[in-house]
Amino acid sequence: MSGVGAPDRGSAAAAAPGPAPAGGRGRGPGDAGRIGAAARWWASRVAGAAFVLWAVATLTFFAIRLIPGDPAEAILGGPGSQASDEALAAVRAEYGLDQPIAVQYVRQLGRLAVGDLGTSYSLREDVAALLGAQLPGTLLLAVLALAVAWLLALALATWSTRGGRVSAAVGSGLEVIAAALPHFWIAIVLILVFSTGLGWFPPISTPGVAGLVLPVVTLAIPLAGFLGQVMRESLLDALEAPFTVSARARGESEAGVRQVHVLRHAALPAVSLSGWAFGFLVSGAVVVETIFARPGLGRTLLNAVTLRDIPLVLGVVLVVAAAYIVVTLLTDAAQRLLDPRTRAA
Amino acid sequence: MTRPRRSSALTGAAAAAALLLLSGCSSPAPSGGSAEPVEGGTLTYASGDAEPTCLDPHVGGNYPQALVSTQYLESLVSLDEDGKILPWLASDWEQSDDGLTWTFTIRDGVTFTDGTPLDAEAVRANIAHVQDPATLSSTGYLALGKVANAEAVDARTLRLTLSAPDSALLESLSQPWLAIQSPEGIARGMDANCAAPIGTGPFAVEAWDRQSSITLVRNDDYSSPPGDASHEGPAYLERIEWRFLPDSASRYAALQAGEVDVIDNAQPDTIVQAQNADGLQELDAPRPGSSNRLELNSGKPPFDDVRVREAFIRAVNVDDAVQGLFLGTAERSYSPLSSVEPLAYSQPDLFEYDPEAANELLDAAGWTERDSDGYRVKDGERLTLRLPVSTNQSIPAEQSLFEQLQAGAKDAGFEVVLDPLDLSSWYGALGENDYNLVSAPYTKVGPDVLRILYESSGTTPAPSGYFANHAQVRDPALDDLLIRASQVSDPDERAALYEDAQRMVLEGFYILPLYDQQNTYLLRDDVQGLRALPTVSAPTLYDTWLDR
Repeated sequence: MSGVGAPDRGSAAAAAPGPAPAGGRGRGPGDAGRIGAAARWWASRVAGAAFVLWAVATLTFFAIRLIPGDPAEAILGGPGSQASDEALAAVRAEYGLDQPIAVQYVRQLGRLAVGDLGTSYSLREDVAALLGAQLPGTLLLAVLALAVAWLLALALATWSTRGGRVSAAVGSGLEVIAAALPHFWIAIVLILVFSTGLGWFPPISTPGVAGLVLPVVTLAIPLAGFLGQVMRESLLDALEAPFTVSARARGESEAGVRQVHVLRHAALPAVSLSGWAFGFLVSGAVVVETIFARPGLGRTLLNAVTLRDIPLVLGVVLVVAAAYIVVTLLTDAAQRLLDPRTRAA
Repeated sequence: MTRPRRSSALTGAAAAAALLLLSGCSSPAPSGGSAEPVEGGTLTYASGDAEPTCLDPHVGGNYPQALVSTQYLESLVSLDEDGKILPWLASDWEQSDDGLTWTFTIRDGVTFTDGTPLDAEAVRANIAHVQDPATLSSTGYLALGKVANAEAVDARTLRLTLSAPDSALLESLSQPWLAIQSPEGIARGMDANCAAPIGTGPFAVEAWDRQSSITLVRNDDYSSPPGDASHEGPAYLERIEWRFLPDSASRYAALQAGEVDVIDNAQPDTIVQAQNADGLQELDAPRPGSSNRLELNSGKPPFDDVRVREAFIRAVNVDDAVQGLFLGTAERSYSPLSSVEPLAYSQPDLFEYDPEAANELLDAAGWTERDSDGYRVKDGERLTLRLPVSTNQSIPAEQSLFEQLQAGAKDAGFEVVLDPLDLSSWYGALGENDYNLVSAPYTKVGPDVLRILYESSGTTPAPSGYFANHAQVRDPALDDLLIRASQVSDPDERAALYEDAQRMVLEGFYILPLYDQQNTYLLRDDVQGLRALPTVSAPTLYDTWLDR
């Protein structure tokens, strides 16, 4: 997020011709300058994104090659099997693992640069095709979990700021606990209660909505804790802000004040947090997909790292990084929509 | 709860009766009393093992491949429960007096599921496939190490010429890693054959949805069950949904919920839960080959001194730890070989917990001083033992066991450093000889596994750095025993040689046997007729039917 976000917002602001009035986009003499500024904004974003992708690919490549373990041995040697010399030599030649690591890096990068993700060592399939098959499941999981987390956090934050001191304490306590719960623990508890105990949902992924419930809730609970903490904080700030006081003074109803003025402010930090949340959800997907036996990127990544399957690891990491960049851009855009101030300064 | 061990197939009536007695509830009697197997249905099997990277067990060759390929591939021979060789795709065989020529008669009237007939030429093509370095076979390749030439003499006769007599040849050929596939299937190339190998088995691979499941369908023309199967003709089940559920807790929850019918890799806590639950059965089928044991690296200090090796073994209380952590589901082993190996030899008196003796041995070996942490020191060096733990191979209970042994060894002055590693890093640590203790189970049919694990040549690392003789035993007398045993044809002489060899390994304190390679299946009580094939204890669903 940081590699793409911070510096260029300053340049966009500097290029803007004077303080634009809130909501005054697309009108008046500043148009040409603003379009130029927007183009520069986008250009720097794209360059930043390319840099991030390159850095991610490089770090991942060397990280996985520098940890001990021979990919050739891992390709052949499951538990209890002993690879023969001939088999190892054949694997090394087949995958180019007999070359110096610098050569392997340059070759790998060259292939990536032209969009060739290569063939998985362990699954012997085209990485792009594998990712294409695994991405939708993880994306669905992440999007649903984000939505559920938002609903939970909003409900909790609204409730706990409306009531008295007790509900505030309970609300913030619940948020802290939820944020601290590890995914694997939530998953096991949910399985024991709602599957083994009540028999409402299947303990493993099955086609259809029922199989999605437990994985989504598992991912959503800690995230709701984080989002809720941030939301409640800004909700409380907004409730005491001058514009709220003046809205109340104008005689607006409490519900009106909250829905029209306060929630919009309270949502801002949570929106920008959603970019980070996406990364959190993908790392959570590694655990959740393994426990609930759901196919997806997280499980693919875990298997690929275990087997030192470099093309597949790089493929997953790049896809996740790209998605992360896109989500960050979207949250920035959403923020500009919600908060006119960010458009000007 | 009934606890069939290894392959004793649960007959419906006995199981139902036992379950009723144990459950003591008034639920309607399960119709399992009907002895007549029911045709049809889909069985869902949930494997906790890794998903194979290739469904053709010639490629690589590990246990996850054996588990699933037993459903669609068959071998030349099989084993019965007593370890006796049974005909399978080979109906008969004969060896020459010098033991260098073996003539196999290939079973008549068998076809692969692609319609290709099984003949001697097909078997020859399979042996060539395993021996071709491009196939990347490791387990099967090693098992055929002495096969110099294979020749199809006529349609039904295959002749193998060996470079040296091999008393383990039939045991090797019984393994799923040397199963026979359609030569037409092999000719499609590695990628296609990995995705859907074609065999003669009771089921065929229909689809492989990676990271999720393999769908197997019944082979309606099936005609080649081994002699110890309980019926003939096609299998009862119509389909098998073979799923991968890596997490132990959710795998068991799925079994309880009825989402799946059979699970493997049941962990001790789960086994105990299942024993106390209604409606579940257990099938305990230890793997053949080696026992699970700690190997003491005698190739470098401090374990190059036999007194230090014995001191370590005397210093740790394995029995109590196994009892406490495996909750009675694992039996202590005192042998280098699995208890399912007929030639396994045990010597419990060598492994009695005796901390006093341990201290005396260490004093005698010159480790007389202790540092401020209580660890023994000699010439400024601390008595440190590095134990890399493969988190892929050592189950959580075993990892806890190592922690308990670590605490016990500390009293005697050993510092045991546990190093949990993923599989690749673990191979790396072994290759760099960066270990003093290691647990590396090895599955193979028959006592010839001793030659792989304890003969001197097994200490020479392959280019990858990997080797199987982790105890680094280099003893010419032991080598001589193991090589003679691998060549002798008289069964009594062979048994005597292997007993001597095992005694040498045990008395040299090269290993600390722990228990068999645990391999427990749990199944719902409407699953009937499941057994583990006595070769490598993989399940066979051929006789299995659903009583629902």
